[in-house]
Amino acid sequence: MIRPAALQLNGVYKSFGLVDVLRNVEITVAAGERHAIIGPNGAGKSTLFHLITGRFPLSAGRIYLHGDDITGRSSYDIYRLGIARSFQVTSLFNRLSVFENLRVGAMRVLGAGHAWWRLLDRYRPLRERAEEMLEMLGLEERRNVPAGLLAYADQRALEIGLAIVGGANTILLDEPTAGMSRHETERAVALIRKVTEGRTLLVVEHDMGVVFDLADRISVLANGNVIASGPPSDVRGDPAVRTAYLGAVAETLT
Amino acid sequence: MMDQLLLILLNGLVYGLLLFMLSSGLTLIVGMMGVLNFAHASFYMLGAYIAYTLSTTMNFWVALVVAPLIVGVLGAIVEQYGLRAVHKHGHLAELLFTFGLAMIIGEVVQLIWGRMPVPYRVPPSLDFPLFSIGGTAYPAYRMFMVGVSLFMFVVLYAALARTRLGLVVRAALTHPDMVSMLGHNVPRVFTLVFGGGCALAGLAGVIAGNAYQTDPGMALALGAIVFAVVVMGGLGSISGALFASIIIGLVQTVSIGLDMKLHAALGKIGLHVDPAGLFSDVWDISINRAAPVVPFLLLVIILAVNPKGLAGSRSS
Amino acid sequence: MSATQTMSTVPTSSLARTFLPWLLAALLVAVMPQIFGSGFAISLLCRMAIAAVFALSFNMLMGQGGMMDFGHAVYLGLGGFLAMHAMRAANAGWWIPTPALPLVGAFGGVVMAAVGGLVVARSTRTAFAMITMGLAEAIVALVLMLPRLFGGEEGINADRSGGPAVFGWDFGSPIEAYYVVSSWALLAALLMFLFTRTPLGRLSNAVRDNAERVGFLGYDPARVRYLIYIFSGLFAGLAGGLQAINDEIITAANIGSNAAGAVLLMTFIGGTGTFIGPVIGAVLVTLMQMALGTVTDAWQIYNGLIFVIMVLWAPGGISGIILAHAPLVRNGRGRLLLPSYLRTLPGFVLAIAGTVGLCEMAYRLQSIRGGGPRGGNILFLPADPETVAPWVVAAVMTTVGIWLLAVTAPPARGAWMHASGGTQA
Repeated sequence: MIRPAALQLNGVYKSFGLVDVLRNVEITVAAGERHAIIGPNGAGKSTLFHLITGRFPLSAGRIYLHGDDITGRSSYDIYRLGIARSFQVTSLFNRLSVFENLRVGAMRVLGAGHAWWRLLDRYRPLRERAEEMLEMLGLEERRNVPAGLLAYADQRALEIGLAIVGGANTILLDEPTAGMSRHETERAVALIRKVTEGRTLLVVEHDMGVVFDLADRISVLANGNVIASGPPSDVRGDPAVRTAYLGAVAETLT
Repeated sequence: MMDQLLLILLNGLVYGLLLFMLSSGLTLIVGMMGVLNFAHASFYMLGAYIAYTLSTTMNFWVALVVAPLIVGVLGAIVEQYGLRAVHKHGHLAELLFTFGLAMIIGEVVQLIWGRMPVPYRVPPSLDFPLFSIGGTAYPAYRMFMVGVSLFMFVVLYAALARTRLGLVVRAALTHPDMVSMLGHNVPRVFTLVFGGGCALAGLAGVIAGNAYQTDPGMALALGAIVFAVVVMGGLGSISGALFASIIIGLVQTVSIGLDMKLHAALGKIGLHVDPAGLFSDVWDISINRAAPVVPFLLLVIILAVNPKGLAGSRSS
Repeated sequence: MSATQTMSTVPTSSLARTFLPWLLAALLVAVMPQIFGSGFAISLLCRMAIAAVFALSFNMLMGQGGMMDFGHAVYLGLGGFLAMHAMRAANAGWWIPTPALPLVGAFGGVVMAAVGGLVVARSTRTAFAMITMGLAEAIVALVLMLPRLFGGEEGINADRSGGPAVFGWDFGSPIEAYYVVSSWALLAALLMFLFTRTPLGRLSNAVRDNAERVGFLGYDPARVRYLIYIFSGLFAGLAGGLQAINDEIITAANIGSNAAGAVLLMTFIGGTGTFIGPVIGAVLVTLMQMALGTVTDAWQIYNGLIFVIMVLWAPGGISGIILAHAPLVRNGRGRLLLPSYLRTLPGFVLAIAGTVGLCEMAYRLQSIRGGGPRGGNILFLPADPETVAPWVVAAVMTTVGIWLLAVTAPPARGAWMHASGGTQA
């Protein structure tokens, strides 16, 4: 029996009113694979994430997680099933400290949930997981700083951390290195590689260096369609991809 | 019987349209700026009082034009120098600011005009019976009120739908940041909308203050209902506000007109309850005394069905 | 200057440091009546305790959860009504000792909040505030319509000493009532404090900061709001039970918008960003209302003015101001602020004196117009509001004061920023 793909999108359509944002999108992400989604702006990449994580309903099509149909489930159900995401526009708990942010991210999975009968500090596994994450993210020295006051790169690191700390097996990262310097980007990529060890990663990125560094497979989204999909070497040479990115000019130049 | 019904419907329409004038400004303000303007009904009250002073020193027609303008300018000043400063502290702070403002306006009104109701009267030129229904003479002034409200609706709708400014306002309703990035002066739009909304409230005060009563309690009396209307109609929707206002206006007027105990009314539709049992207090309620509760019950029901209201646009 | 709350992990050694203030508070509560023994003082202390519990329960929603509940007084009132009925039952012979009444109130609060929450918990911030207001109006109207349950305009009253005696106390005397009320208040405050340190308490902070993200971390934000709402209703009902014991009467006025507005004022003035803020606000506002109410008619407008001014310039409340200055005082940089802060004093004094003068004269005029006595002093100065002179003086004072403030405030703020600049982590 073939093991089902970690994430499978079949015939996914999404329109907002009269505007078609995604058309007949087919994507297969194998378990443990690092899969990048690239494409020009407005191609529908973030919308794709919104659909997978249950923020918007699909107009048509199905989404499967390890063979189970998760189409139309609520965002919190989907998280509990093992899909976590980060956001393109940093979305943290600004008034809580870095440490508390991580604790909140892990509470559900480590059994704390909605508990009101026990003090938070009594949950040792929770504290340990948050500490572990702090170290991995390199934020131990800023553990007590309110997230809203962090430097941008640290915020992006925490953004990734929030997605990971709950131990989800399928991680969706939305432009994790947006706005970062060369050095910060390198740090971020090392971090991503480390924390997604053994997990399935779906990442939207604009930085081609990051993409070719990290990805096992790449899908190219343009105008709501997947116009190419395959290992980096294939995608790199694909003329359709060049055209989509650079326009018809590229064809005349090559 | 038909005449009774027609009378009630007419009164309900008048009241509903009045609510509309109040709620249209508020729904724009809440929908676009996210500011829960607690002082909205206070501007209504100010409109009535200023109109009273103007109509006794000059005449009603001057008051009709000038009072809303004064209230609108006051609103614009409040927005520009007060709300805007508070805006950076968040929605909660803006809400609290308007709350404090309502307190202050309430007190100032009493200081200037006293604690008793003021004799703000319908102008003699409009004080005659226009037609008669079943023996009861229907005052022309009420029809004047309907006329003004409908006129305002048409003007507002046309301004929002047809003018460029209206387009900007409508866009700013859902995407203020985007509108700002397109080069429009969003703060100025906010000031305009806030001032305009207050002016509308003031106008409502001008025409209602003499038909009903002008006293320091009028803001409190209407404040909660206007909020209910706005939520019901959906934040930011003018047509939703119209719809909800008329429904509430009619329902409220009908309830007030029904001098019947609840158990009798239920009996009329086939539900028999024991008027002397455990809940005798409840069954003994006369519907006309329960009238204040009705809009809120309606609100609760509508929200239970659809948390966004009848026609909501921006739920944040 | 806004209040930010930093939460740190709690190593066991500083557990003592956390609970020391509570021990001190308990000591204070026990000793207060010995220091301020008069009946008036004891009654005031009780009022403060009740207001503090109520404000804390309100802040569970507002400061901790980001929810503005304009109908919160409903749960205090309904809990209070239930407690009053229990008190009546005790008067009729049922075994319900007076110290157990706050539990009855809490029960009433919980049940009503569980029902009310079903209606409101799904709404977002703005709609939530409006709906709770509407709900409160509806319930006030309902209460007045059901005289058998709620006593109509006169409310429900009973005798707190008419129940079974406990350890020889019958709770009739003010001081016995004080100990019941204040012990319960302390317990309630402690429980609410511990609540902020439970997973649910932290979750409510998260929902306040970013409800959407919470939805992507496996929780239904509406469900979290609902749970918080129920808990805050519990404590509000408990406060209602305390009020039943203290006043021996509950009426529809305790449910209405006045009570709701008062708690909003208290919580906000004290500061919503810290746990103790609402307590500070409750104590101060209660004191102010008791003290000012006897001296002047103008306290309503003072309320409004203080409110607006705080919203504009100190939205973090008093505890926010303390938080902004405590680290500076602690590390000695506080003295850098003194010169510029002191320079703002004349402006403050003039502006306040002038405004107070204007308000007092306005209210005196109003009372004269209503047939009240002429002559007599405005506060402590002889001034006739029917002449022009005092008005001019007051207006000039206010204007000059405001102008001075406008000139001296920016340097003061600059000094604060400069002094804090060196303490950033």
